[in-house]
Amino acid sequence: MTPERRRLLIALVAAVVVLGPLAYFWQASLLPNNYSVMDMGYADSGGGPGTMTDHRLNGISVADLVADPDRPADVNVTLTVRKERFRLSTGEEVDGYTVNHTSPGPVIHAVQGQLVQVRLVNGSVPDGVTLHWHGVDVPNADDGVAGVTQNAVQVGKSFTYRFVADHAGTYWYHSHQVSHAQVQGGLFGALVVSPPTPEPEVRDQLAVLHVYHGIATVNGASGTVPVDVPDGQRVRVRVVNTDNGATPVWVSGGPYRVLAVDGYDLNGPTPVSGKTVRLTAGGRVDLEVTAPARVELGGATALALGSGVQAAPQPTALVDLLHYGTPAPLGFDPSHADRTFEYSIGRRPGFLDGRPGLWWSINGHLFPDVPMFVVEEGDVVRMHISNHSGAAHPMHLHGHHAVVLGRDGVKATGSPWWIDSLDVGSGHSFDIAFVADNPGIWMDHCHNLPHAAQGLVAHLMYAGVTEPFRVGGASANEPE
Amino acid sequence: MRNAYRVLAYLLAVEVVVQAMAIAYAIAGLGKWVEDDGGVLNKQVLDSDSPDFKGVGGFATHGLNGTLIIPIVILLLLIVSFFAKVPGGVRKAAILFGLVVLQVFLGIFSHSIPFVIVLHVLNAFAILGLSLVAARSANVVPETAEPAVAV
Repeated sequence: MTPERRRLLIALVAAVVVLGPLAYFWQASLLPNNYSVMDMGYADSGGGPGTMTDHRLNGISVADLVADPDRPADVNVTLTVRKERFRLSTGEEVDGYTVNHTSPGPVIHAVQGQLVQVRLVNGSVPDGVTLHWHGVDVPNADDGVAGVTQNAVQVGKSFTYRFVADHAGTYWYHSHQVSHAQVQGGLFGALVVSPPTPEPEVRDQLAVLHVYHGIATVNGASGTVPVDVPDGQRVRVRVVNTDNGATPVWVSGGPYRVLAVDGYDLNGPTPVSGKTVRLTAGGRVDLEVTAPARVELGGATALALGSGVQAAPQPTALVDLLHYGTPAPLGFDPSHADRTFEYSIGRRPGFLDGRPGLWWSINGHLFPDVPMFVVEEGDVVRMHISNHSGAAHPMHLHGHHAVVLGRDGVKATGSPWWIDSLDVGSGHSFDIAFVADNPGIWMDHCHNLPHAAQGLVAHLMYAGVTEPFRVGGASANEPE
Repeated sequence: MRNAYRVLAYLLAVEVVVQAMAIAYAIAGLGKWVEDDGGVLNKQVLDSDSPDFKGVGGFATHGLNGTLIIPIVILLLLIVSFFAKVPGGVRKAAILFGLVVLQVFLGIFSHSIPFVIVLHVLNAFAILGLSLVAARSANVVPETAEPAVAV
């Protein structure tokens, strides 16, 4: 062999050594045209008993996990969703999505214990739609996740959701089909479940936050929105963060109390002054303020309750919900968990369905090679969520409320802090616990919705539940 | 192949300059948006569709260039270097490859530890300098090659 040819051979070998692994990882990352989320990744039984049965053949279907079909509805709503250009109440024109020709969509009101029935009609959303009841622990078939709990509703078609609103609190609904685009574009609204006997002297006020193409709004209006209330009036302000990033909320003009987080009342809330509440993306917080006051919503928008109050700058100190309020019984014992899961979020280079980039990882793996957390009904489940990814992630578990046990190893000492959306900052970790009391297949994902589309999605699966739906394929289900 | 090596190395140098211009334009636009137009930037706004100010595209350009286009360029440069017979060409390409990998991680880590961005800037100058050296070394006819033939 001449030196020239040897040189060429070495060059070829070197090229193969560099390109071969890349080609292999690229090929291995390609997703099939359609797949069941049950075939994703690997089962993680969290130290509990594994499940040996084939879930595709035995057990109850996700589609059969419904509310009592014989019970008549107490609240009946039809929501027609469209892709269209619309005008905010302050005049700005926006291209996006509407519900009954508005965005935010109509507020759905229910009283605790009522059965809510919502007929979703797709007027003109070409990609198809669903409605997810964010924070409501609905039966699995009504969870509204395309490809997991139903097929996306195509143009001209409809789907009816039924669930009992059995917990009073502040919730919201939004599409879970191509959600990173549809929610951003306005396909959402608020759901308020009132207690049977609300405090008569406290007024209710919603504050639904959303940024439309860079325009920060509250209840669909930009800037400071006046609310006509007499001085001395106590107001329960229900703040809903429908965006992808956490928002600072504070009050100018007096102290406030944090009454509830993610639809669950806090026990023994004390007055707060000079502190900011950091509201998780997808999360809700109910604040009690006394007029006149301004509720500052991120700095660009505010609710002015009454008049004469100047905007105060954002306090740097934060309300730490780990130590806010007074303890109360949880109703279960998290120290005797049946299963303990690890949900470790990182970031690494690789391919996501053939696209090279730096992608979020779960327990070191890239989507779809992520854990499937397997539980049995009645299990007490603990989860350690840690984040080493360089960015904050608002983690959202469907179908359950979990209680925060601690952060960075520091135990919670305040009121039980129940969450469905938890902001996990980079470099931080949380321990949470919940009771597996709602059978089905539930997403457990980042509610910074572009992050979910970038693969930060895992699922919680109950043993004995089967999955009839598929992501992709003829139904074009694309939940993220 | 030497021409391909030279072009890719110059392309890398140009990309470093484009990166600097993109991020500087974005920051200047952001400054004006906040100071003149009363824009409020927080995580809620940052993680939505980006606010619509002049220069906002600089952030996306910097990110796309840095995590996709530049890695592809340096990968091609490394592969081409095996064949190009540029004196020290493989070594330079391999060092550049390492610097670019380091650069991506420094960029990512700066989101957690802001001071890391200083190293990111310093490393950018190293990549610029070495890519220019690499490009110019492709002009030199290697000693082991056949006598020059007009190409």
